[in-house]
Amino acid sequence: MTTPPVPAAPLVTGRQGHYAGGVTRLVAFAADVGASWGLFTLALAGLSFAINLVTGNQVNLAHQKWLALAALVVWEFVYFAYQWSLGGKTIGMAVLGIRVVGREGDAITPRQAVVRTITFPLSFLLFGLGFLGILINRDRHAWHDRFARTAVVYSWDARAARLRWLARQEPTIAD
Amino acid sequence: MRSWGNGIDPAALRAVSPLPGASRMEQLVESIAERVVNLVLDAIDINAIVGQVDMDGLLAKVDVDAIVSKVDVDNLIDRVDVQKIIDRVDVDEIVSRVDVDQIVARVDVEQIIGRVDVQAIIERVDIEQVIQRVDIDKLVEQTELGTIIAHSTSGVASEVLDVVRAQGVGLDDFVARWVNRILRRKADEWPVGPAKLVNPPVPVPDLPLEAAS
Repeated sequence: MTTPPVPAAPLVTGRQGHYAGGVTRLVAFAADVGASWGLFTLALAGLSFAINLVTGNQVNLAHQKWLALAALVVWEFVYFAYQWSLGGKTIGMAVLGIRVVGREGDAITPRQAVVRTITFPLSFLLFGLGFLGILINRDRHAWHDRFARTAVVYSWDARAARLRWLARQEPTIAD
Repeated sequence: MRSWGNGIDPAALRAVSPLPGASRMEQLVESIAERVVNLVLDAIDINAIVGQVDMDGLLAKVDVDAIVSKVDVDNLIDRVDVQKIIDRVDVDEIVSRVDVDQIVARVDVEQIIGRVDVQAIIERVDIEQVIQRVDIDKLVEQTELGTIIAHSTSGVASEVLDVVRAQGVGLDDFVARWVNRILRRKADEWPVGPAKLVNPPVPVPDLPLEAAS
């Protein structure tokens, strides 16, 4: 069996609005996990410092496991639901150039954002079976996409990126 | 017909005449002289005389500058009703006869621009007022200025993002191709994206009511 060649430049041009693939979505999710955890940790440290400053007692909220877990769940919900409802993309998705839209391509509604956030953990059940649809379904829908009637598409203007790349190369060629 | 002499009444001449009977004699002489002059004048062909005159030679002797210097031009201009002249002029007809292209072709634009004191013009412009009139939000909405600004201010960051995204898309295609090969299916017939994004509806132009009906 021969290995298919790695796609050349023309394949990554003009993809705006196309269904996003699994790798990009996975990397975006990883970036979001990192960003949300980082922000959560910072907020927790900031809150502990403020309490220490006001009360004078040494308090570390990270040691309050159940409280920290509850806060983390609420924070993750707010992190994803708020960002999806606002512009259809989280920080990680913005970095990777993808966004969530409605099934037909409309802007995602706040209700869809909330449903998607609540049902998102379901896709992790059964060893991530819910994500398999991204690879094998014709419209690349995961479980939470089906529940919320959403899709993830490329929002990155690859054609403009290629032009920018060519513009950057031009001075070198001229030399 | 006027009487001969310097317009002096013959009766007055008779009154001052030193000799008796002289007045009658004078009257007779006057009438004879008058008659003779009339006959001479009738016999002279003025046009023929004028034709024999060397007008060029005559004009050459005339000092036009001296004449013109004596003319009170200001007084002359004051008498001219310029507005009346302008009213009579058909400006449209004059303009229609002008070959503007030919005039423009003769104009040395570079020379004109060279004479313009751009600095002086700029100093006269109230930049603050001009900027206040510009609707920046509308400008950014209608153009890709916002995108250009964002890209120009974060050149390195956008380059890194482009590379990361391009790698991601390439890997997506790579994985999708392998999955399709394993599942033995053709992905060409599948939709590439949501209908409204990959096949956006063509905007229908607003037609006037008459055309629509």
